[in-house]
Amino acid sequence: MSLRPAETRTIPLPERLAAVVDTLGSIVVGKQTPLRLALACLLARGHLLIEDIPGVGKSTLAQALAATLGLQYARVQFTSDLLPADVLGVSIFDPATHAFRFHSGPIFHSIVLADEINRAPPKTQSALLEAMEERQVSIDGNTRPLPDPFFVIATQNPAEQIGAYPLPESQLDRFLMTIELGYPEPAAERELLLSGDRRVRIADLAPCADAATLLAWQREAAAVHVAPALLDYVQALLAASRGAGATASGSAHRGLSPRAGLLLVAASRAWALLAGRPMVLPEDVQAVFPAVAGHRLAGSARAGGPQAKTLLRAVPLP
Amino acid sequence: MKENTAPTPLTRTQLGVLAALLLCAQMPLWAHIDRWISVVGTALVIARLVFPFDRSNLRNLRRWLLPGFALAAAIGIRVEYGYFLARDPCVAFLYVLVGIKFLEARGTRDGALLVCLALFLALTQFFYAQTLLAAVAAMPALLATGIALAVLRTSAAASEPWRPHVRATARLILQGVPIAALLFVLFPRLAAPLWGSPLESGARTGLSESMSPGSISDLSLSDEVAFRVEFSSAPPPPSQRYWRGPVFARFDGATWRPLYKLRSGQFVPPSGRAADYTVTMEPHGKLWLFALEHPTGPPHAPNPDAPAGAATEALAIVTYDQQLLAKAPITQAVRYTVRSATVDTFAALGNDASDNLQLPHGNPRTIEFARDLRARSASDRAYITAVLDWFRTESFVYTLSPDLLDRDPVDGFLFDTHRGFCEHFAGAFALLMRAAGIPSRVVTGYQGGEMNPTGEYMIVRQSDAHAWAEALLDGKWQRIDPTAAVAPSRIERGIGAALPAGERIPYLARIEMTWLKSLRLHWDSVNYHWQRGFVGFNLERQHDFLRDIGLKGAPPWRIVALLAAAAFIWGISVLGFSRLRRSRDDAEVALWRRACRKLARAGLERRPDEGPLAYADRAAVRWPAVAALIKAIAERYALLRYGPAAARTEESVAQLRASVSSLPPARELRAT
Repeated sequence: MSLRPAETRTIPLPERLAAVVDTLGSIVVGKQTPLRLALACLLARGHLLIEDIPGVGKSTLAQALAATLGLQYARVQFTSDLLPADVLGVSIFDPATHAFRFHSGPIFHSIVLADEINRAPPKTQSALLEAMEERQVSIDGNTRPLPDPFFVIATQNPAEQIGAYPLPESQLDRFLMTIELGYPEPAAERELLLSGDRRVRIADLAPCADAATLLAWQREAAAVHVAPALLDYVQALLAASRGAGATASGSAHRGLSPRAGLLLVAASRAWALLAGRPMVLPEDVQAVFPAVAGHRLAGSARAGGPQAKTLLRAVPLP
Repeated sequence: MKENTAPTPLTRTQLGVLAALLLCAQMPLWAHIDRWISVVGTALVIARLVFPFDRSNLRNLRRWLLPGFALAAAIGIRVEYGYFLARDPCVAFLYVLVGIKFLEARGTRDGALLVCLALFLALTQFFYAQTLLAAVAAMPALLATGIALAVLRTSAAASEPWRPHVRATARLILQGVPIAALLFVLFPRLAAPLWGSPLESGARTGLSESMSPGSISDLSLSDEVAFRVEFSSAPPPPSQRYWRGPVFARFDGATWRPLYKLRSGQFVPPSGRAADYTVTMEPHGKLWLFALEHPTGPPHAPNPDAPAGAATEALAIVTYDQQLLAKAPITQAVRYTVRSATVDTFAALGNDASDNLQLPHGNPRTIEFARDLRARSASDRAYITAVLDWFRTESFVYTLSPDLLDRDPVDGFLFDTHRGFCEHFAGAFALLMRAAGIPSRVVTGYQGGEMNPTGEYMIVRQSDAHAWAEALLDGKWQRIDPTAAVAPSRIERGIGAALPAGERIPYLARIEMTWLKSLRLHWDSVNYHWQRGFVGFNLERQHDFLRDIGLKGAPPWRIVALLAAAAFIWGISVLGFSRLRRSRDDAEVALWRRACRKLARAGLERRPDEGPLAYADRAAVRWPAVAALIKAIAERYALLRYGPAAARTEESVAQLRASVSSLPPARELRAT
């Protein structure tokens, strides 16, 4: 859905945030909604899971986000023999100082792209996911804080592909949103084919923000007003997700947890901030709901997205 | 039917709730309609639950099987009852029909139709009984109706979708009770029902229009209540409790029948001890009203305040033979007040003597015996005494199971078997009188009655049915009860005391008071008050009530104002103050709804889940000319409803109101 900044009675949208959206749009062409969702996810201090086939621009998106926001970026390619130490880092004995020195892993970056996370064995997956939850890493008895902001973009191949370890539900729950990028529109694809790979342009991007600005934006997002009437609506959605029986599809069905409700409100706030609104509207909730609820309802964006949309249709505004 | 217009099929839950509703509606009728019909109708309902019909075999069902079912049911019912267009077969047909309809029900529209049918079916039980039990038995169907309606409207998505509706429906019903009570009391009542409830021939127990051996002893096996009596004076002693009913003067040797002609008579003059009482009579389908021998005036609708004998409309006329006849058959419970003088004689009319001397052929030994005995008696009175003495001294047995006699039954009874019931004694006595030249006839009715220890009223049951005789002596009809000579305890203490041990007597007619009998009497008392207070709340009682609360003859607006005030109080107490207060807070919601309604009438409806800005976007595309206004309305509304409380000012609400008012009318919008 398209949401334009409201003409009247809105706080002025921070210009740099608008610039971020524009810049991102110039790199990842024709993906307005996933881009905004990814940014909203970042503003809501959540982590993002992109579920799609290789080659649709997942890592381009991650790199572009890092570059535009002026954040450090690291990429971990998950493989079947990846060990937790490869992600978190390792202590190595330094003969010069006669002591162990910690070599930090790629996780110590503000934006971490965990590529093809479901190709790694569960042990490695869980090491990453613990770091995501705690925002700190404990190695050899030392607790090391991760940078703030800390944002993990994980990608996974559709579960039906060969060599995939599907993420268990409890770990899927660590991600605020799951989105699909999908194939580009014909016009966007033509532009892509004409101008070549966008990734080379990322290096030339001037950052629109820095870590401190992003933290300020995150605080601002958390302060967006939520009215009782809106909470009524959120609760109606939660109740409907719990009441909806296994009639919609054959899969085992799960209702949304209270934490999912909290995250839904946080994501809606970020979305409202992106739209330049001082308060959350039902439209904001509806915009983020499929991404937030999809993988919680059915275990994957592909299966859960349509379910989430059906649920939205079934719940009238209070 | 095109595939895309096919109704959404009923879910398991909806089917289950509908089945429960139909069973609840069918259940009270089990007591009233034929066994096999109730089994078939209920089996059809259960069959739908047990065998899930999918679309393809449903189509075959609809096309071939169901019309066949319906036809077979109609024919079967016609054969069973022998007729079709009457209450019983039609109710039975409806009973089966809901099952057939349920079998083919597919979508929610079928479901809604079934709810209507079930409601109607649930009402039909009141054709049979309007007791408290019947009202209670209707409750499950009422509750199930609400649940079914709610479940039919719920989307298929919700699991466990019927449980919350139980409570909601119960609450709705309870909330409706005050309104129902108010309307019950105040809604104008008709003096007579618009249509009489159909009455089956022979469906009611009660006295019949002729008397042959066995007709009263059959009745004596029934515990059913004939009528109940409240005495405002002291009740007469048991031996005086003769409730007069049909009188028979024509005898063909076996059966007693009334005279062909019907003439009006006169009430007896007040004398002796007077008894004032009010009778509540169960419907019996005939014209008779029962009164103690002999009434001194016509029966009136009971009116506690009016002085006795005040001029109100008489409910019945009195005939020459002192029967009270109503103007129409008693098909509903009726209440009337009568005053009687407890005397056993009344004056005869002109040709009573000649009308009551006819002798049939046959029974030669009886006639011979009567003439012989009369010849040996000094007077008519002496003859009567002699006959009664003879009854007393011969070994006559008062029994419910006399021997069957086909030729000359009176001869057989008097001289061979000596076993008979009151109709034998009364009939034989009347014949003995006639044979001796004394005009005589048979009177049937009820004798006795039992005081209910709890309700302060007397119950007269069918088992109190009785027959006695009257003889014309010196220009006066004299009551003579030959049964009293044979079995005096029948008159003094009722049939239970008079019958020999081992006879089959109805339970409630037995004289010992057991806890079960006491329980039954208590229950009867509850039912009696139900009948008086609710079922019998008719035009007169409504007038009384209105007069008691000072509204009698009040101008209609006062009643309307009272109703409005009551409705207001009800609304406040049921809907609650909180909702009233919130409605003021939610002025913007009302305004927004107004705008949405206007746009919906203009052809663009808001989806229930559509947010204000999204809807405004759609509307802006549809009506570019007023796009800015529509968007402004949506944004103002969004800010008021979802914005911080500080943004809520009277001014911004006023702005929203002004914007909504400036929307062009739907008519204009539709044109653009």
